[in-house]
Amino acid sequence: MKHNSNLAKRIEAGDFVLTAEFLPRASADNSSAGATISSMSNVTAVNVSDNPYGPVMSSLAGSVILRNAGVEPVYQIITRDRNRIAIQSDLLGAACLGIRNVLCLSGHHQALTGSPDSSNVYDIDSIQLIAAVRQMRDQGILLNGTKIEGDFPMFIGAVANPFMKPMELNVIRLKKKVEAGAEFIQTQAIFDVEGFKEWIEAAQKEGITEKAAIIAGILPFRSAVEAENKRDKYMDMSIPDQVIERMNSAGDEEAQRKEGISICVEVVKEIKGLDGVKGIHILSGGRESSISEVIAEAGL
Amino acid sequence: MIVAERKKIPELVEMLKGHKKILVLGCGTCVTVCLAGGEREVSIISSALRIASRNSGYDFEIDEMTIERQCDNVFIEQAAEAIAKHDVVLSLGCGAGVQAIAERYSEKPVYAGLNTSFLGVLEERGVWTEKCSACGSCVLHKYGGICPITRCAKHMLNGPCGGSREDRCEVRPDRPCAWQLIYRRLKGIGELDRLKNIEAVKDWSTSLDGGVRMLIREDHRI
Repeated sequence: MKHNSNLAKRIEAGDFVLTAEFLPRASADNSSAGATISSMSNVTAVNVSDNPYGPVMSSLAGSVILRNAGVEPVYQIITRDRNRIAIQSDLLGAACLGIRNVLCLSGHHQALTGSPDSSNVYDIDSIQLIAAVRQMRDQGILLNGTKIEGDFPMFIGAVANPFMKPMELNVIRLKKKVEAGAEFIQTQAIFDVEGFKEWIEAAQKEGITEKAAIIAGILPFRSAVEAENKRDKYMDMSIPDQVIERMNSAGDEEAQRKEGISICVEVVKEIKGLDGVKGIHILSGGRESSISEVIAEAGL
Repeated sequence: MIVAERKKIPELVEMLKGHKKILVLGCGTCVTVCLAGGEREVSIISSALRIASRNSGYDFEIDEMTIERQCDNVFIEQAAEAIAKHDVVLSLGCGAGVQAIAERYSEKPVYAGLNTSFLGVLEERGVWTEKCSACGSCVLHKYGGICPITRCAKHMLNGPCGGSREDRCEVRPDRPCAWQLIYRRLKGIGELDRLKNIEAVKDWSTSLDGGVRMLIREDHRI
């Protein structure tokens, strides 16, 4: 069995897809977030992040919560915290629990999370993870050669930062992700539309957009301060000064929050029709309630 | 070479308290070159410990000695007499040196006076950088002579992470991204195609993950 997720089916049918992001909390009960997400309309699948900012509920458990709430999860796995043994074991467990989409990442270094004193694993990198999942699915074998009993139907995703320079290196890496087995690519949040256009054109030239569905990321900031903090701390985020200035000049807290959504709406308008863009991924930054607002405002 | 740095004096005082006759034992090899545990540092640390001892009421009696290599039994032997006369040895060798001394003198407490940091090079006066993780299976030929296992904080073997910047690593603003260096280097020597290959998962069994390592050269054994 290749894969059978709704996300895969809709992408293969040529639909413009909508995905969103759920950040599990540091709680043994994430059911309220699950309920918020299950009320969202038009979203085909929801990513469950894997401890991006420090320890929270596992992405596997979060994915199961969503699935139980009737939402199709995209189970995110980073290679920072688990070796190949743990990752493959979790992947088999995820498939058993009905999870059908996986997103393979290296993850933020622990120095950027709330646990800078932690060790890391990085037994394998994100491209090796993609290749491992592909091998498990298509050849039915684990990295050590063990045969998997039964099917392992998983739709395989990867991430890309369109703003990582130089472009030549960026595209080499993106191409490798697709060659390794990625079938969809979710991007980092886009604020620099021109920069994104340059990237997707470069990807198109290499034939990458034919082989994998590019799902363009957007992120509604709540405030100028949040945007500034993200810009300064996370090098995988590219946030132009104009965005921060615009958020700052929007006014009070509520006005800034609304401005964050307006910025996303404008980005969506500019990129939705671009060749090679097969969907929009709404990053929530942990504020899942803002996802519905973006969907409504952007007419998604 | 092995790069190390001196432990702070208060930590050493805390470590040594309760002992009287202390031998501060330097090493004349790597740690001399990186200005952490050679004859000069033995003298400085000994003086500082004498002062701290007086100030804190401990009664340290400190002697100094430096041997050529603490990781070699031939040289360790030279310290035998001095070690026998002291209650404790404060070794300013690297972690290997400390252990070699401790194994040779099993009745004597041997403490580490340095923090052994990494395998690296002298970049410029007073600056050392890490270059090698001693993974036991060198891949440098694939990466233009720049080690992604050591110099990329995520040990990425197939290209940079999304947090790579042309002028810095995601983790520290004052460190370059190894992958940007690898890219430029491979491009410069006309080997950029190497980056296009997918590097399979690494066999870490030759590294520390495979258990403590041992090297046996049968051709050199009698």
